[in-house]
Amino acid sequence: MLKIKDLTVQFGGEGGKPVLRAVDGVTLEVGEGQSVGLVGESGCGKSSLANAVVRLVPVAGGQVSFDGNDVTRLSRKELKSFRTRVQMIFQDPLGSLNPRLSVGGCLSEVCRVHNPGIGKAAVDQRVAELLDMVGLESLYANRYPHEFSGGQRQRIGIARALAVSPTLVIADEPVSALDVSVQVQILNLMKDLQKKMNLSYLFIAHDLAVVRYMCERIYVMYLGKVVEESPAAELFVKPAHPYTEALLSAVPDVEKGLKNREVGSDRIVLGGDVPSATERIPGCPFHPRCHKVQEICREKVPPRKEVSEGRFSVCHFS
Amino acid sequence: MWKVLKIQDDCEILGVMSDLLEVKGLKVQFGSSKDPVCAVDGVSFSVPDGSTFALVGESGCGKSVTALSLARLVPEPAGSYAAGSIMFNGENVLEMSNSRLRELRGREIAYVFQDPSTALNPVFRVGAQIMEAIQLHRKDVSARDETIRLMTLVGLPDPAERMKAYPHELSGGMQQRVMIAMALACSPKLLVADEPTTALDVTIQAQILELLSSLQKKLNMSVLLITHNLGLVADVAHTVNVMYAGRIVESGQVRDVLAAPAHPYTRGLLDAVPKLSGIDGSDVRLEGIDGFVPNPAELPPGCKFEPRCKYAQDKCREVEPELECRISNAEYRMEREGLVGSEGGSTTNVQQPTSSNQEEGRLVRCHYPLGGSDA
Repeated sequence: MLKIKDLTVQFGGEGGKPVLRAVDGVTLEVGEGQSVGLVGESGCGKSSLANAVVRLVPVAGGQVSFDGNDVTRLSRKELKSFRTRVQMIFQDPLGSLNPRLSVGGCLSEVCRVHNPGIGKAAVDQRVAELLDMVGLESLYANRYPHEFSGGQRQRIGIARALAVSPTLVIADEPVSALDVSVQVQILNLMKDLQKKMNLSYLFIAHDLAVVRYMCERIYVMYLGKVVEESPAAELFVKPAHPYTEALLSAVPDVEKGLKNREVGSDRIVLGGDVPSATERIPGCPFHPRCHKVQEICREKVPPRKEVSEGRFSVCHFS
Repeated sequence: MWKVLKIQDDCEILGVMSDLLEVKGLKVQFGSSKDPVCAVDGVSFSVPDGSTFALVGESGCGKSVTALSLARLVPEPAGSYAAGSIMFNGENVLEMSNSRLRELRGREIAYVFQDPSTALNPVFRVGAQIMEAIQLHRKDVSARDETIRLMTLVGLPDPAERMKAYPHELSGGMQQRVMIAMALACSPKLLVADEPTTALDVTIQAQILELLSSLQKKLNMSVLLITHNLGLVADVAHTVNVMYAGRIVESGQVRDVLAAPAHPYTRGLLDAVPKLSGIDGSDVRLEGIDGFVPNPAELPPGCKFEPRCKYAQDKCREVEPELECRISNAEYRMEREGLVGSEGGSTTNVQQPTSSNQEEGRLVRCHYPLGGSDA
């Protein structure tokens, strides 16, 4: 359904400024009714990728095709109809909702823009339907975003995305700003809606446990590149790339934590931060932080290898 | 089978370490005196010297207000301390003079807050911000050298250069390290970390947690860790208190509480964390907690958790349960025997956890506590 090939997104470069390559040759696919996870630290380019897919930022190279149409070449009019089929849910629901627009106003605006000529009664009915769908009472339509809790706001964000009945929803860290108990409610809601409406998800997160719960296929990104792609089940049993391994061991897990108390921690703690994407790192881009680094990693860029069927890793030693 | 003990006589004997901080019956109110809203209602706990103590609960359960109270930082008169005492090293914080409080804050009790980007002043260089605390509280050292030492201690590379950076020039993890360096400037006895990693990536979170727990050991300070994620608690804390609606609903050793939660709320929090191991993630449905934290102005009459509780009975709707020490029968007998034996001889017997069944100071606020894995 969604096919991304060698996508590159870059910023800067004007007036002698260094070029920042946020997304650097990513190939990715989302099938119908599938949930695909995109994982990585802040600054690895996962949000830039999402924004490029819906044309919120310009694409510097590569192809994005949706249902066979090239997204990068859509005209204004085509783009509007494309956006009825692809929608986004953002991380910070307070920041992504207009504070001066009531919830009903916000949802009905979407309905009116995409169905010109729709009557007021029909809009109100649709708004009530949407609120009901995400588990909110229809009387909330008159309230403003600040009157809601974080979890309820995220429900509104989901309702807004679903207002145009899209087939693909790109969720950019939809639960990372929420409490664990509310996080589960939102994740379960998203799962239920997926079944009901046969949605596809491109689910972006930095918490691998959350992605494991939601997705069938996972792409791990580092510095603008995909370093591992794998079916979810296999990735968690045996990560192929050292970066995935480190990410996995960083996730706080009750069972693992209790075990670590008994036998001592085997956690891999990555040193330092994600390097700036303006730097050019020779060899494997992950080598300065890698716990398995060897001489070859400093010199040669590792090839993309098929580890087993449908599993790829970009590492000399996987 | 549960046997109810009175907290006063038995459970306190079991907790035998000397306490740095002892909070008793703390009650913090907001709003008018006629119709006050209780954010913290009768919270009691103690933090032993040199340990990591966790306070867990959802947003709005009163854990941050509790944390702020420890150095009397809740803005007054908007908020007021209606009852209780906070004994820090034998002194009641709530009765301290303003000048004594100024000494206490930063020097003896230091804070690390959730969002480093808003906690740091954007218009001053980070070095100057760390130095400020040293200049205020310590005349004995060169502020600059000490700042460099602290920045090295928290793992900031190239400290002499980094001192000149403004907060926005640092990443979130670096900013949090600066916050920790500031907090450590006067070697506090108690470090209060209020959701120190919530705003950070998992990898950076792991770095910061590792740093906090190594510093805790190295400097032998006590750490009060506030979080909503029980996964973090399992990793670093020794004891855990779970809060709900301004009350403590369960407390005990981390190992005991997480392995066999007795309160349905603790169980719910545990179930809400997506797991890394076990059955394939997408096949099982996570059971979280329905609903949300109640408005502190409109609490239910009985157990405060009752409206969201799967196991609620009639009694829960009417009578609010007490925070009690509840130990199952067989274990209770073992405890008693251990205690009787030690009364005749040395007390060291009690201090050492002899078996994993021993549940030191395990308290729960529930009429029908869960019996661990079999319930």
